[in-house]
Amino acid sequence: MKKMLTSVVVLLSSLCLSAGAYAQTKEIRVLLANHPYGELLKSQIPEFEKQSGIKVNFESLQESQLTTKLTTEFATKSSSVDVFMTRPLQEGKMFNKNGWYEPLAKYDFSDYPKTVMGVAQAGGAPYLVPLVTEWQVLYYRKDLFKAAGLEVPKTFAELEAAAKKLNSDAVAGIASRGKGAAAVTQLSSYVYNYGGAYIDKGVAVFDKPAAIDAIRYYGKILGSYGPKGVTSMSWENIMPLFQAGKVAMWTDASVFYGQVVDPAKTQIPAADVGIANLPAGPKASSPFIVTSWGIAVANQSKNKEAALKFLDWASSKDLAIKGMLSNITMARTSVWKDPKVVAAVNPGLVATRDHAAEFGNPLDRPYMSAVGEARDQIGELIIESINTKGESAKLPEMAKAKAARVDELLKDAGEYGKP
Amino acid sequence: MKKNVVHEILFYLVVIFISLMVLFPFLWMLSSSFKTQTDIIAWPPKLLFTPTLQNYEKVFGEQDFLKYFINSTVVGGLAVGLSLVLGLPAAYSISRFTQRRLALFILLARLMPGISFLMPWYIIFSRLDLMDTYVALVLSHMLIALPIVVWIMSAYFNSIPVELEESAMVDGATRQYAFWAIILPMSGPGIITSVTLSFIFSWNNFMFSQVLSMEKTKTLPIAVYNFVSYAEVDWGGVMAAAVAIMAPAIVLTMIFQKFVVKGLTMGAVKG
Repeated sequence: MKKMLTSVVVLLSSLCLSAGAYAQTKEIRVLLANHPYGELLKSQIPEFEKQSGIKVNFESLQESQLTTKLTTEFATKSSSVDVFMTRPLQEGKMFNKNGWYEPLAKYDFSDYPKTVMGVAQAGGAPYLVPLVTEWQVLYYRKDLFKAAGLEVPKTFAELEAAAKKLNSDAVAGIASRGKGAAAVTQLSSYVYNYGGAYIDKGVAVFDKPAAIDAIRYYGKILGSYGPKGVTSMSWENIMPLFQAGKVAMWTDASVFYGQVVDPAKTQIPAADVGIANLPAGPKASSPFIVTSWGIAVANQSKNKEAALKFLDWASSKDLAIKGMLSNITMARTSVWKDPKVVAAVNPGLVATRDHAAEFGNPLDRPYMSAVGEARDQIGELIIESINTKGESAKLPEMAKAKAARVDELLKDAGEYGKP
Repeated sequence: MKKNVVHEILFYLVVIFISLMVLFPFLWMLSSSFKTQTDIIAWPPKLLFTPTLQNYEKVFGEQDFLKYFINSTVVGGLAVGLSLVLGLPAAYSISRFTQRRLALFILLARLMPGISFLMPWYIIFSRLDLMDTYVALVLSHMLIALPIVVWIMSAYFNSIPVELEESAMVDGATRQYAFWAIILPMSGPGIITSVTLSFIFSWNNFMFSQVLSMEKTKTLPIAVYNFVSYAEVDWGGVMAAAVAIMAPAIVLTMIFQKFVVKGLTMGAVKG
């Protein structure tokens, strides 16, 4: 009888032990974006699971679906998300204000340029790790430049002259986004190069002369030498035109480089595509360089230890090098100097990145909670300027009204006058 | 005689014009689904091109659209089935006992913007651990299907003379039996109409599935976005997926078109 009792006790305790061991195999839920880096992470996750013993349940979503899902889950306080990819400029400010990001005090951020960290922290307390950056560049057709005997433009005056010379019935001299709100990010570098800004110390300043001059210049070159219907064009419309050889110059984000030279997607030979710095304006040469994607741990996560482990791995240098080799422009500085990367990546891309990381501006839009509506307001100015080839007499007055409206939005969110 | 010919020509011109307007986007989509990315963006548009099946290979090979097809079918089928079980008796009762207020209340659920249901649903379903299950999706899609069933069927029942059941009940049948054995067998066209319409609405629904489903129960409209990446759109993949998704809806409508028109106009004159 006693023997039986002992065996039962042994059996029970061994059961408990195995249950304990079972509880230690942690699971985390990760939300990724439909983005080349998200794809890369997906392919490497089995490796992480083997190393760490943490099971990763991941989902991949298109970016606006991702924002909707995160917002719903966090707002209802019933989220099971542990780690997620996030767009700092689009949702960062709002998510941080709501306390949805877990503070990352212990993470080593020394490998990230200052221009990139601006949107990853608030008051010196970082809350996300930058993954991917992009900056404004000038794409141009080497063959057309050669045929016209032109040099790559270095200033806005040269840019305008080149656009004029290259413009014909078949090929537009220059293209850039003209579709209102969508164009705001691309206009930003023009505004910075004229010495202006959208918002300064929490106050809308895009009605000041510097910004107005930039909006007029942008409207003039696109209105005069841009493709037909440019005021309804965003990158989805302009890239195909460039790929079909209908545009001589195109200013937009560096992220499109891979697609522009991919023979499966473009009709012009890769050798004819050049990439250069956005020409300098009268006051500066300061293109935007933004952190388009970052990764963060959810404040509501119940598995923070495992989540932080995943975050460290997903933002590691090893994976960043893998990212660089699959044409993703990663945020870490050191990977741009890695010999394998230097050998593989286009030197034009490296040169424009170096320039932007040193002299660039970390914002490409009015950085505020109500960013969507503010973009609509500035977008109307862009369309007015393009439609009048930059000549509109009522532009300053319009800008004043729009800036007042954006100030109101800032006040509503309690962000007015705050740096 | 001459006037008739002119009429005829005008008539067909208008028909051709309208059909072109309606069919053009569809034909564009169909042809793009067989093109490569370079052919899709070519300008001027290529009317003659070498067709490729690579987009469809992506849809059914790389992306496992079969799984999403099954998800959409299960969710739509169960939601419509359950809506019939609850909706047919409800519609019968609304029709025979003129329960206007109840009918209005059900319609109200349809008129409210769907997004206002999402937050409470999300809280309830996640507390009950029902996220990413068919249960949550089917229940949410019943919000789409049930009002359609109730409204179409109550109008349809209105058009069936009360005398039919009354004579059955005089002969000793219960009301339930009369409904089951006499009214329902006569309601084929109405039921087909409501099933077709509510299934298509459920099939196309994006919002509910977006929030309530995850990888396991993802439905088709969400899966189309697998081809939309950051700063890159695989147009061929999107078009091929769209064709694959539309095909069942189009087939369903073509088969039942006659009934749908009849079912929708039934009771219209009676008021």
